[in-house]
Amino acid sequence: MRAWLPALLAGRLVRLAWLLPLAAVGLFVLISLAPIDPVQAYVGGRTSQIGPEQRDAIAAAWGLDRPAAERFASWLGQLVRGDLGQSITFNAPVMQVIAARLPASMALVGRAFALSFVLGTLLGLTAGATRGCWPDRVIRTVAVVLAASPGFWVAILLVAVFAVGLGWLPACCATPPGQLASEVTLADRWRHMVLPVATLSVVGVAPLVLHTRQSLIAFLDSPAARHLFAHGATPVRLAFGPGLRHAAGVALTLHLASAGELFGGSVLAEAVFAWPGLGQATVRAATGADAPLLMGIGLATLLFVFAGNLLADIAARLADPRLRRVS
Amino acid sequence: MLHPLSTAAVALSLMMPAQVEARPLVLAIGGEPDGGFDPIMGWGHYGNPLFQSTLLRYDAELNLVGDLATDWSLSEDRLVWRVTLRDDAMFSDGTPLTAEDVAFTFNAASEAGGLADLTILKEARALDDTTVELELTEPRITFVSRLATLGIVPAETYGDGYARQPVGSGPFRLIEWREGEQLVVEPNPHWHGGEIAFERVSFIFGSEEAGQALARTGAADLVAVPPSMADAAPSGMEVLHVDTVDNRGLAFPMLHATGETTAAGTPIGNDVTADRAIRVAINQALDRDALVALALNGHGRPAMGPADGLPWDNPEAAIPGNDPAAAMATLDEAGWTDSDGDGIREKDGKPAAFQVLYPAGDSTRQALALGASEQLREIGIDARPTGSSWDEIGALMHSEVVVLGWGAHDPSEIYYLHHGDYAGIDYYNTGHYSNPEVDARLEAAEAANGVEESLAEWQAAAWDGETGFGPKGDATWAWMVNLEHSYWVSDCLDVGPLQVHPHGHGFPITHDLPSWRWTCE
Repeated sequence: MRAWLPALLAGRLVRLAWLLPLAAVGLFVLISLAPIDPVQAYVGGRTSQIGPEQRDAIAAAWGLDRPAAERFASWLGQLVRGDLGQSITFNAPVMQVIAARLPASMALVGRAFALSFVLGTLLGLTAGATRGCWPDRVIRTVAVVLAASPGFWVAILLVAVFAVGLGWLPACCATPPGQLASEVTLADRWRHMVLPVATLSVVGVAPLVLHTRQSLIAFLDSPAARHLFAHGATPVRLAFGPGLRHAAGVALTLHLASAGELFGGSVLAEAVFAWPGLGQATVRAATGADAPLLMGIGLATLLFVFAGNLLADIAARLADPRLRRVS
Repeated sequence: MLHPLSTAAVALSLMMPAQVEARPLVLAIGGEPDGGFDPIMGWGHYGNPLFQSTLLRYDAELNLVGDLATDWSLSEDRLVWRVTLRDDAMFSDGTPLTAEDVAFTFNAASEAGGLADLTILKEARALDDTTVELELTEPRITFVSRLATLGIVPAETYGDGYARQPVGSGPFRLIEWREGEQLVVEPNPHWHGGEIAFERVSFIFGSEEAGQALARTGAADLVAVPPSMADAAPSGMEVLHVDTVDNRGLAFPMLHATGETTAAGTPIGNDVTADRAIRVAINQALDRDALVALALNGHGRPAMGPADGLPWDNPEAAIPGNDPAAAMATLDEAGWTDSDGDGIREKDGKPAAFQVLYPAGDSTRQALALGASEQLREIGIDARPTGSSWDEIGALMHSEVVVLGWGAHDPSEIYYLHHGDYAGIDYYNTGHYSNPEVDARLEAAEAANGVEESLAEWQAAAWDGETGFGPKGDATWAWMVNLEHSYWVSDCLDVGPLQVHPHGHGFPITHDLPSWRWTCE
């Protein structure tokens, strides 16, 4: 039954084998070309207290005085031994920085991913089933508006309404200000998650709604659906019955393949909500020209997106038997 | 996880506001040190090192007073600081702080390649438990700033994980640091400095918007806000404006353009600003009060020099400005006249025109550049505001005028900005200014017998009655404004007298955090 699976996995592994080194080289070249002096970024506002001799000492301590090619070679050497190097910005091993921050990001991205999938598919199906009527028009308008709204703007809007205006939900952070992690209740954690997850879901929900609606409409226009119509099936019943399978495959593929965008959206959401995840670390690493950390995060993101695409392909084949034929 | 009971509890709690209980002090002022709390790598140079204490500290008037040190003196040859320590200082783990720890900290910091500049230190030695000697490679009085900024770490337990689990003899000890989100500290029971009025202090990190939202929901007690937001404090809070030496001014290229370039191949010199008359006329013409109103919404004060109001500042060197008539007289006298009637003066066929570069993303500097340009047009100088990236500014700052900003609690900044040795190095002396008499004054200040003695030399470097880097002398800069740093502070919080703040908004306000008090029940 699953004869297609080994071939798919093998093909992807080969692809990963050349993609990873290519991405590593590309990332390093980009970082080296960036017009940011890592020493200046590290010194930041303290310029007046750090003399030129100390700058040289800083550059030497971080190996920034060596040519780029040499730095890349030594980074590769470390990588082979399973060491991603030392982050300049955080003054800690890159592995440690990523390990400390990945869980918070995954909690956010994972929940937003699930929520936007359920919400997007349901709304898309509803819109498709009521094509041309008012629910369709309302849902489409909302989807188009959301698709055109930048994530951080949505975040600020949600905070203004639900945190500042109504006072229902906390404005920031993963836990209440002033409390230790051990004192925070589960309920508090959930309360603090609502707005960030909502913000991030909004980013993913709009394309899903529009695509699901479109694929359902394509199904409803097909001869098979017309036949069922003639036998008295209502559009709503068709949508959530046989239509669901048609639309869900497309939706799942689309959603898994756009996991990378969700990850990108978390960079902004994390900054607005002071969420202690990888997104914040990415911003710091980029503005500080922190090559080892950026490379580490870049490669981790690559693996994340790669896994998302692979899962999308597997899910699509599970949902749609026509794709399983090995070409 | 999806137990029906817990689900119901979650659903219920979502509808109820958080429980009201005794609230700790919550600050949202940014300043999270990404690299952790290791003084040897540079933590604590702004504001308050929280977990560590320093040998000396600056009081609200920026006078040096003892913290760990009870007595300190500089040797005859000005090379050796001898510091006597108090004998009751303890680290937060209960072990006593000795001269060994101080010597270890200074020696380690001078070798670490971090953000504590101790390149001048030759060696630190502990003579006995409470006496330490710090030997320098050459006389340098500004080393005293290191005594006031370098937090002391325990020699015994300092190691790899220190930055994230600091142990020090400061007012607070770290309870929990959730990176990127929150730092929670409690008073250090072993601290030698007295009582602290808070059982717990939390620092919330994240964006400015997050801090403002917290203030509006009443969850934060002190929040750093940008000047544009300052006047819109939410109920229960008031606005606190803090004077600073966080200054902005026009840095002039001082040399004539001779085709000379920097090592990176960018041009040096500008024939218009190389003329002292132009630089002095600009200083005479600028209406700094108008610039404060225009660019800072009135939240600032006119800047006359690089360190207005600090002990090493020389007010005598300033030209008050807002005097276009005097500016025009200066230009006329120097031969800059408008011969072709286009409103711009010329001399020997060269128009009095130059660019004023500012980083395009900085609206304050943009407003300053535009405002200054407008004012200078009145006296016949064509200063063209040009928004650029820092990258471009780095390439052009030796040949065009740039809106730059400085301001530190350390006179070595004066040295870096005006000494000929720093011409063209980093952002220091961008104009390649070099005046042997000023250099000699600056060197004399660094070589002084003591901090008090050095002050007169720093002031003379700006203006000694005949020459100096200040506007009355060579006019290397036209300083324009000092920013104000704005905070929203809870009505119930008394933060006491405040220092004039350095460049950098946010964390410096914590300098006297241990003496803050609640004023409400």
